[in-house]
Amino acid sequence: MTSVAAVRELLGEFPVVDGHNDLPWALREQVRYDLDARDVAADQSAHLHTDIPRLRAGGVGAQYWSVYVRTDLPDPVAATLEQIDCVRQLIGRHPEDLRPALTAADMEAARREGRIASLMGAEGGHSIANSLGTLRGLYGLGVRYLTLTHNDNVDWADSATDEPRAGGLTAFGREVVREMNRLGMLVDLSHVAATTMRDALDTSSAPVIFSHSSARAVCDHPRNIPDDVLERLPANGGMAMVTFVPKFVLQAAVDWTAAADDNMRAHGFHHLDTTADAMKVHRAFEELHPRPVATVSTVADHLDHMREAAGIDHLGIGGDYDGTAFTPDGLDDVSGYPNLIAELLDRGWSKADLAKLTWKNAVRVLDAAEEVARGLQATRSPSNATIESLDG
Amino acid sequence: MADLQDDLRPTAAAGEFDDLSEPYPDEAVTAADRADPAEPYEPVSDPDDAPMTRAHAILAAHPVADGYNGLPWALKRLSYYDLEEGESTVGTDVPRLRRGHVGALFWSLHLPEGLDGDRAVGATLEQLDLAKTVARTCAEGLRPACTAGQVADARNCGRVAVLLGPAGAPAVGDSLGILRQLHLLGLRVLTLTGVSWASDAGLTRFGEEVVREMNRIGVIADLSGASAPTVRRVLSLSRAPVLFSRSAARALRPHPVNLPDDLLAELGAAKGLCLVPLTAEQTGPTVRDVADHLDHIRGVAGAQCVGLSGKYDSGSAHPHELGDASGYPRLIAELLRRGWDEADVALLTWGNVQRVLRGADFTARAAQQRREPSRATISELDG
Repeated sequence: MTSVAAVRELLGEFPVVDGHNDLPWALREQVRYDLDARDVAADQSAHLHTDIPRLRAGGVGAQYWSVYVRTDLPDPVAATLEQIDCVRQLIGRHPEDLRPALTAADMEAARREGRIASLMGAEGGHSIANSLGTLRGLYGLGVRYLTLTHNDNVDWADSATDEPRAGGLTAFGREVVREMNRLGMLVDLSHVAATTMRDALDTSSAPVIFSHSSARAVCDHPRNIPDDVLERLPANGGMAMVTFVPKFVLQAAVDWTAAADDNMRAHGFHHLDTTADAMKVHRAFEELHPRPVATVSTVADHLDHMREAAGIDHLGIGGDYDGTAFTPDGLDDVSGYPNLIAELLDRGWSKADLAKLTWKNAVRVLDAAEEVARGLQATRSPSNATIESLDG
Repeated sequence: MADLQDDLRPTAAAGEFDDLSEPYPDEAVTAADRADPAEPYEPVSDPDDAPMTRAHAILAAHPVADGYNGLPWALKRLSYYDLEEGESTVGTDVPRLRRGHVGALFWSLHLPEGLDGDRAVGATLEQLDLAKTVARTCAEGLRPACTAGQVADARNCGRVAVLLGPAGAPAVGDSLGILRQLHLLGLRVLTLTGVSWASDAGLTRFGEEVVREMNRIGVIADLSGASAPTVRRVLSLSRAPVLFSRSAARALRPHPVNLPDDLLAELGAAKGLCLVPLTAEQTGPTVRDVADHLDHIRGVAGAQCVGLSGKYDSGSAHPHELGDASGYPRLIAELLRRGWDEADVALLTWGNVQRVLRGADFTARAAQQRREPSRATISELDG
């Protein structure tokens, strides 16, 4: 067995960059952004997967905080701005632990200072309301990736979990990708349909990311990445950040979740609802139908496969903490990453490999996107395209 | 000028609005941001010269800070424009701004009537983006600015300072978090009309909290078009000076956005600022009509409380000889003929706006030491 000390030493030098954490949404839903009621400087394990002591215990050195909002809200743009405000307040309240970060250089500075680089990612094209001006506004406020869709299609891109409509990206969707390239905002392909993944890879001149997705060859769920797409990452330069969500990574959990979701809807709840009442319904279901449990080993199986398909330079980690009701055993909350690193060491991953997985790849990808943006900004003006003009 | 916090450098090119705001609050209060000192005025023109000669001399030292201009929106319908060379299809371009001695412009972000909710928030993000794009295409002539210090810097570099606002209150989507984000994107002035929390009945409890948060972050309240109860409540509540971005004297011309004498007197007592629009509808069709309004407001509110807003490229008809941004010297010459002394002219064109900007900066810096960002919500305060 690998010693805890060896893992600590590794993460001390190259801490974890996590691609996706839904703490802001959890704070909105649980306490309407009352940051005193959920003081993340103290233990919040009764309510949240995430707090600063556990981020520290988990060896996290950079976090993309998700400024996700639900697709069925009447005011997705306004709600996204409130999520951004929440992240800024979190950073402002904990300057010793959280460092605002917009660039790869900021991430390295945070690592030197021993603070957690705090970046933002928006989850779903609904947050830009079909407007490139709004996209640029989010960039101006610090958002550094946009997941092209969430669980529902947007007008210009198909989601993995909705009926095919555009067949990938529309003309406007491709323009969104090009404008993101010009800005230096990462194109995130988690949640999108495989057709959208392929169209985005064809269009993007910068590395893309999957902020929280695993391998479809290991567990056949539409939220995971097919091998043909993983195999394109070396040429693109991007990365796939493995997610831990049991209902995506473990086949038995996929099946169980389908039944559980049906049960939630039968009780009148949105299937992603994590409020107290909804969780009560969830727990009742679980008592009758024991939940299949994913483990550290399940996630490591995905990484082993993704490494085969995409290569060690194109992997990362995106836990989706506070965005999922359940987590694998051993990866119960943000303090769990060392268990995954220990498992990979046991499987023969080298220290150099693990440094790429945890830190180096993510920094390289953001740096490359900035470089592409600098080149494009020298020759291209902000796009004035509208969805009406391109998609008719 | 505000010190940017060392550990956050946006990647955007230098001289953009994102660079100027402080994405994360800075605790430092610098000596340069003290409240306005009463400095003695040093004349720059020869009283024996002709009024127009004197007007140019005074404006060269104390240019116009124009409180309301709609250029970005007006440019939206053009496929190509060149503001540095001159653009005859609009009323504002760099050659005419220079002829008119305009040193600072507020770009209005007011939206078409009826936009609210998410559409207002999104459209405001688009307006802010459009304004940045226009400013970027004209970097030799225009320079984005947020604070009084940055406005002075722009002027020292021979550029016209561009400030963002006023935006209409629907832009903030009934949310203090959104207000804060719009401020980070450069918004400096918000007009308190057209929302449930600032109506004919005055400010609601949430409306009062909006004003406090505006004070805390440095967004100036614009009360043109606001109801009298709203005006009075904001005048008493706001710790920073307020302004009217486009109001003339109702005693001279009965227009709903013009101000009655009692409110002008209260504005004077609160040391706010009434920016008089150069529109035929509100002030009348001649230079003399505009001067009448300026005389009247100076008389009722005081010389420290009157300024100018051209309202060019905002869909208004303008008085003769004031048809575009180059006409200001004609107006100043008229005031000199009427016996305005230089010091009052300098306050009218430049000094008063600078005072209000400095007051907003100072109030914000002081408040940020005392107050956390407000997390009040409209549903909690207004039920």
